[in-house]
Amino acid sequence: MRASRGGPRRVLVVCCPDWPLDAEDSGPGARAFEQVVTMVEAFCPQVEVLRPGACALSARGPARYFGGEEALARKITEAVSSRGFACRVGVADGLFAAQLAAQAGSSGLVVAASRTSAFLAPHPVSALGSAELADLLPRLGIRTLGEFAALPAAEAGSRFGGQGALAHRLARGADRRPLALRPPSADLSVQLDFDPPVEQAEPVIFAAKALAERMHAGLAARGLTCVRVQVQAFCADGREITRLWRHDGLLSALAVAERVRWQLAGWQADQEGRDEGGRNDWRPGARGGPDGPDRPDGPDGTGAPGGESENEGIQFGGITLLRLIPDQLVRDEGRQLGLWGDAVISDRVARAAVRVQAMLGHGAVTRPILAGGREPAEQVTLVPFGDARDPLRPADRPWPGRIPAPAPATVYPVPLSAVITDDRGATVTVTGRALVSAPPARLSADGGPSLAVTSWAGPWPVTERWWDPADARRCARFQLVTDDGNAWLAVVQEGRWLIEASYD
Amino acid sequence: MGETAQVRAASYGQRDDDAVPGDGVLPVLPALRELLPAGGLQRGSVVTTGRWSLLCLALAAGASVAGAWCAIAGVPRLGVRAAADAGLDPGRMLLIAEPGTHWPQVMVSLLDGCELVLLRPPARPSAQVRRKLEAVIRRRGSVLVVAGDWDGAQSRLFLADQEWVGIGAGHGRLQARRVRVVADGRGAAARPRAQWLWLPGPDGSVTRLAAGEPAGADWEGEAEQARLARHGVSVGWRRELAPGELRVSSGLTAGMSAG
Repeated sequence: MRASRGGPRRVLVVCCPDWPLDAEDSGPGARAFEQVVTMVEAFCPQVEVLRPGACALSARGPARYFGGEEALARKITEAVSSRGFACRVGVADGLFAAQLAAQAGSSGLVVAASRTSAFLAPHPVSALGSAELADLLPRLGIRTLGEFAALPAAEAGSRFGGQGALAHRLARGADRRPLALRPPSADLSVQLDFDPPVEQAEPVIFAAKALAERMHAGLAARGLTCVRVQVQAFCADGREITRLWRHDGLLSALAVAERVRWQLAGWQADQEGRDEGGRNDWRPGARGGPDGPDRPDGPDGTGAPGGESENEGIQFGGITLLRLIPDQLVRDEGRQLGLWGDAVISDRVARAAVRVQAMLGHGAVTRPILAGGREPAEQVTLVPFGDARDPLRPADRPWPGRIPAPAPATVYPVPLSAVITDDRGATVTVTGRALVSAPPARLSADGGPSLAVTSWAGPWPVTERWWDPADARRCARFQLVTDDGNAWLAVVQEGRWLIEASYD
Repeated sequence: MGETAQVRAASYGQRDDDAVPGDGVLPVLPALRELLPAGGLQRGSVVTTGRWSLLCLALAAGASVAGAWCAIAGVPRLGVRAAADAGLDPGRMLLIAEPGTHWPQVMVSLLDGCELVLLRPPARPSAQVRRKLEAVIRRRGSVLVVAGDWDGAQSRLFLADQEWVGIGAGHGRLQARRVRVVADGRGAAARPRAQWLWLPGPDGSVTRLAAGEPAGADWEGEAEQARLARHGVSVGWRRELAPGELRVSSGLTAGMSAG
């Protein structure tokens, strides 16, 4: 996708709509998308993966070969659909317009070269992807990209800052940032030889992280950053796995290593799929989405659930060389950390976490995000280290009926069964009108000793998500203090008592 | 073990003058400062807290506030909300719920990367494992907080008494817990220290009982009432109330009546 002299850059975007947007860092989705990319690669070798679910290529060359942009778009749609993936293809000037074109119409749109700004004009300003501008511009009476593009560029820059100037470029149909026309004065690619060839994926990924750090250091020393990074892996039998990944100067060394992992795993799955007549290992929605089972990516692949363990090994004689090539070098104008995560992960911490992940599997090291919810177990989302994900339930909602502070220090992932009886030994029950049969007098958690209840509070009835039969829940909660001084959070649901948490 | 422990204890003893948390010490919450001889968690040391409880999290909170990364291993039942309320930053937490059978190796990696590691050992560590991990801790200057037993730990903290406030017989709710934390250890930490704390307080934070506040069974109805009036908290006691003492009332804002 080099900048061509004269005339705008024509970009074709392939977008798979049923890929979840948050598939960004969820392994299975990213690995499966590799299959789509391989099919698109048959049309043009230079494919750039924007995110799992979307990739782009320069349309000019392939369009001439395949008989026009419409023909190329149709052929790609047919090829991808034939493997069972829904797909939309858009062609326009520049990446931003092409992405919007892919979302237009029933299966994407080909926007003629001279029509790009006219195509962009009716889109709302929210398409720019900036929450701040999407809020501010309509209040100033600017509702569409056309109206925004009509402002003088210099005025947009001085009124809305660097972000506004960039958005104005997009609205005009220009590219996100001008390409650096200066060729790199030095070879900034980094590579590592493996001798003997490495058969397992994990050491390669581990090495990729160190390589990425070297590449970033080399770029930083020259004040540059790269828009894309090309990952090349060579096998002992001469095969080459090459893939371009969107970088934009935002990927950490760990994130680059993660993309190497997807590339190896996805390519492996693709090889197997080809050998077995086009079997798709994973399709969006088919296996529970990106939250599917976390596979332990152990170095020996043991412990992986049925049939997938071989994905972690590299066949064809192993990897002999791994090379990272920064592509499209631009001046590093800094990045805003606040947008991309709350805490900066130091390399020392990241190294420790990756090493533990190599021992125990990707999902074994998690970072918690506080989420919303009524019961304590709902109020946290655990995200595997290296992934980015939003909490399952937003924390900033009021959540009426939530268990009040202070929060319990112990939250059982699987609630303990409990027996709670009154002073005559009968199980305490709660009626539909939230009346307690008798004050709870004794509590026995998980078959443990029977403890006397000294004080208690409740019932706090909860009827959750009654509109969704699969997720609906009707229960009543109690807080109990036993004579050993411990406090418990118990819930009674359909006559059964469970201990959800304890206030240790 | 004995000789090295003595040498270590002696070297830590020299740092006791350094009451202000400095480079050699990870800060702790102000409420816990007086329980630890160095005024914080001595880098390169092991601290045990008996069974898993909010005390472990409270010990880690001060360092997390100061910017340290905290790894928590072997606690699948961690209440993250409680940890956050106690002061730990969830953004700087690594959770390893099941460190597995090779947990000593996992611990070596974690101690390498994080300044503070909370561990609930899956099995009782052998002397060899302990020595190996203690060597890593000393080399990296990290701190290991163990929820369980660890022979040769420099400091030992445990909950001696606990009493929940705010809940009655069928009314109120758990609002705060008054605990007495006792600390002892080796060398300079050998003299037992005790401290009454709100663990947690009404908002989940960890604070010391103020000087005027009653501690445990010594409390007087009036003093308690004055404190509660300040906090707007209703109260119920685990033990039986004597006539004339504070009556249990329900609801957060319900008034108090002194008999």
